[in-house]
Amino acid sequence: MATQTTTKNGTATNEAPPSAMPVYPFTAIVGQEDLKRALLLCVIDPTIGGVMVMGHRGTAKSTAVRALADLLPKIRTVDGCSYNCDPAAPSLYCAYCSSGGTRANGGRSRLKSSQGAVPVVDLPLGATEDRVVGALDIERALIDGTQSFAPGLLARANRGFLYIDEVNLLEDHLVDLLLDVAVSGINVVEREGISVRHPARFVLVGSGNPEEGDLRPQLLDRFGLHARITTIEDVAERVEIVRRRRAFDADPHAFVAQWDKEQAKLRRRLTAARRRLPDVELTDDALHAAAQLCVVLAVDGHRGELTLCRAAVALAALEGRTTTQPSDIAQIATLALRHRLRKDPLESSGDDVRIERAVQEVCGVPQ
Amino acid sequence: MHASDMLPLPALVGLDKAQQALLLLAVEPRLGGVVFASPAGAGKSSLARGAHSLYAASNTTVPFVEMPISADEESLLGGLDIEATLRLGRRVLREGILSRANQGIVYVDQLNLLADTSANLLLGALDSGEVRVERESISLRTSTQFSLIGSYDPSEGAPRRHLLDRIGLLVILPGVTDIEHRAEVVRRNLRTERAEWEDELAMMQGLVQAAREQLPDVMITDEQVGQLAATALAFGVEGHRVDLFAVHAACAAAALGLRESVDQADLELAVQLVIMPRATRIPTPPPEEQQPTAEDQPSPPDTSSPPPESEEERDSETQTTPDLQIPEEQVFSALASELPEDLTEMPFRTLRRGRSGSRGTTSGTRGRHVRSTPGDPRRARIDITATLRTAAPWQRMRKTDLRRSSVIIQADDLRVKQFRSKAGALFCFAVDASGSMALHRMRQAKGAVHTLLQTAYVHRDRVALLAFRGDRADLLLPPSQSVELARRALDLLPTGGGTPLAAALLGALDVAEQARSRGIMQTVLVLLTDGRANIGLRAERSGVTEELQVLGRHVAESGIQSVVVDTQRSYLSRGEARRLAEWLGGTYVYLPNARGEQIADAALAARDGSE
Repeated sequence: MATQTTTKNGTATNEAPPSAMPVYPFTAIVGQEDLKRALLLCVIDPTIGGVMVMGHRGTAKSTAVRALADLLPKIRTVDGCSYNCDPAAPSLYCAYCSSGGTRANGGRSRLKSSQGAVPVVDLPLGATEDRVVGALDIERALIDGTQSFAPGLLARANRGFLYIDEVNLLEDHLVDLLLDVAVSGINVVEREGISVRHPARFVLVGSGNPEEGDLRPQLLDRFGLHARITTIEDVAERVEIVRRRRAFDADPHAFVAQWDKEQAKLRRRLTAARRRLPDVELTDDALHAAAQLCVVLAVDGHRGELTLCRAAVALAALEGRTTTQPSDIAQIATLALRHRLRKDPLESSGDDVRIERAVQEVCGVPQ
Repeated sequence: MHASDMLPLPALVGLDKAQQALLLLAVEPRLGGVVFASPAGAGKSSLARGAHSLYAASNTTVPFVEMPISADEESLLGGLDIEATLRLGRRVLREGILSRANQGIVYVDQLNLLADTSANLLLGALDSGEVRVERESISLRTSTQFSLIGSYDPSEGAPRRHLLDRIGLLVILPGVTDIEHRAEVVRRNLRTERAEWEDELAMMQGLVQAAREQLPDVMITDEQVGQLAATALAFGVEGHRVDLFAVHAACAAAALGLRESVDQADLELAVQLVIMPRATRIPTPPPEEQQPTAEDQPSPPDTSSPPPESEEERDSETQTTPDLQIPEEQVFSALASELPEDLTEMPFRTLRRGRSGSRGTTSGTRGRHVRSTPGDPRRARIDITATLRTAAPWQRMRKTDLRRSSVIIQADDLRVKQFRSKAGALFCFAVDASGSMALHRMRQAKGAVHTLLQTAYVHRDRVALLAFRGDRADLLLPPSQSVELARRALDLLPTGGGTPLAAALLGALDVAEQARSRGIMQTVLVLLTDGRANIGLRAERSGVTEELQVLGRHVAESGIQSVVVDTQRSYLSRGEARRLAEWLGGTYVYLPNARGEQIADAALAARDGSE
């Protein structure tokens, strides 16, 4: 039986792709505006609470998420820190940074840092809990006999994105745990004699195929936005998809270079939107529209309004405005609410239609 | 690796399509793989081995890994080699099936019986070209490129669509009925001299080599891509992956012909091997006389068939209407003869509903061992190996304290087995407690409930009972396995009043929903009624029927199998119960004097029919 050894695990640096194989550019994805918008809004305001993407197989779900990293401006991270801490504001919960990096350095010295891409961490199927939250470092235990913590995927995803394909196939308790951490931003590990808390602030993106079964409504509700994608039924667009895909496969580097300009444009737009975000004013009109919409649709709880408002602000920022308008609410209503509607078996029209109807009633503007 | 008792690929009789598919795959590995749907003994494993022999020309040895359907996560992904780890004092990993197959072939027989966890891992690797392990303190990614060859017997149900979606080529092999054909198979099998095939095999190998070199030069026009996409749309194939697979297949076919451009025959082959097997509808339906089998058709409401296009108007390129477009005439006419009369034979068709039923639950101590987790061995089965593995790294530390030679295991190390078992089904009885026949129906229901519960333990099934009368439906017996509870609940039953069928359906939907959240994915609704609804939920009396229809569709769409047991004497019936069964997409049985066992049988048939 063949055996092999691996490199040391758990450091933040080994999330880099195995080769320099470029990823398919975000801007080159044909159609699927719903999904793209949802992702961009979360990039602008991570507190929106993540995206759940539901759609048929083979409709660019994963491609879109994996393409995100390239859109985001590079971030500075502390060298040697397992949690991608920002050197300007290291997390209080990071043991490494709060001790001033290497203790040999004399304590208070400056932390060394370097620039890198925003982490987009993929949670593979069959991942066990210990690798997700982190656990005992087996290698250290074997070799030095010391008890130390090997950070898991949540640590790697800090300040970035955590993507779970087929989230509806993941065990409920794991999804629950992920959503908890995503909200609190802190991962608490108490297991195998290890007691660690570390920063884990990330945007959770889940995807799934509705035919494989739905997520529990309680879990669904905790995702900020819910994008739905379908098979494109336009032949010309499908030809375009195939053409681009083949061009990419044939020469990825050339293809990426070809889309460089578009990517740079979107990157600039996103950067500007993020900078603008704190200054965007949420008008009373928009706020009322959001609340009224939730009342009309009988949405339980307040997550609906909150998400609507945050997403509307982010949308205004993306479009270069500093005030929101009711039309912002109208535009993101389906994304923010479609997974929060109560099931009404007598309602023959789909969720989206119901929301559109309510939007017209409340905002008076068709989407 | 060559099994010498197997016939070489060229010697296989009547498998031209299959051989073609394997050649395409050998030329263009991006097709992902080939799946054969065929009855037992049609030569599936010979084909798989044969595929392997196609790669032989490229001097390097190509791994051929046979994956048993019982393969668990660890054998697929690999894990810690505990022995070597302890001996060498560093982590040593054992490779799993998926990375061992790098640059080779994975063969899975009975693909449809593959457990979901394994299937997911398999397609994850197929899709991303790498194996990612994040489990049991191992974090690792290795790249692996392999082709998947799968086979299954359609009579045992189809594989998950999900899996089929990542595999480019699907071949439905006919069962062999022709006598001369069979004789030839036997003749070739008995012949011991195989040399004559060697030449032919060598030729095939050479062809594959040449075609591989040709492939990068093959051109396909946008019109042709458009034709393939339009065909996929017309057949109702989901997703966009199919386009790419079809294009790959057409290009590979052209390469095999050593041509530089794709021609009509290449497109047809691509449609046959890639698109048609994924059809969810037939574009131009043959005479509209299909007896609506009890099978429901919850396809989008556009079942209105597209108008058969007679004249040659064909500009699929510029036409951008979202409506169905009849594909290129030639592509289509060549295939018309091969369309099966019955779409349910298509692997993608049969699984429209409740497929999630196969997910099962990961609780309990029965079923298939999937993984091990920390836990209390008093409440679950201990996994000795996993426990030892967990304890191993600590031994050095612990030993310095305790100077003992035995392995020191602490409570933290204990690992218990997690099982995934097929959760049973829920039988939800909805009994019409209105009118004069109520008592009679109730007695029938009791009999059926008892019969089912007696065998429920074996199948892990549960039974619930709703009674409806007046303006509501009451859940008399929540989902239960207990015979005793059932008896008590059924003894107190008020009868009489109106017939609120809609309330009953709503109640059944609720019960099914709750059951699903507890891991029971399959619900069979058994309705004992004459079907004469006269009380609606909120509609006026006139709207009762529409309401029922809407609800019925919901029941069907949520994957509930229904049986309507008609209890009305035939001379009084006006077919209401039969119509109800149609709305529910369920079966109708007429059993006015049924005994409990007969009803139970009908319910069991509904459960098994969907699997």
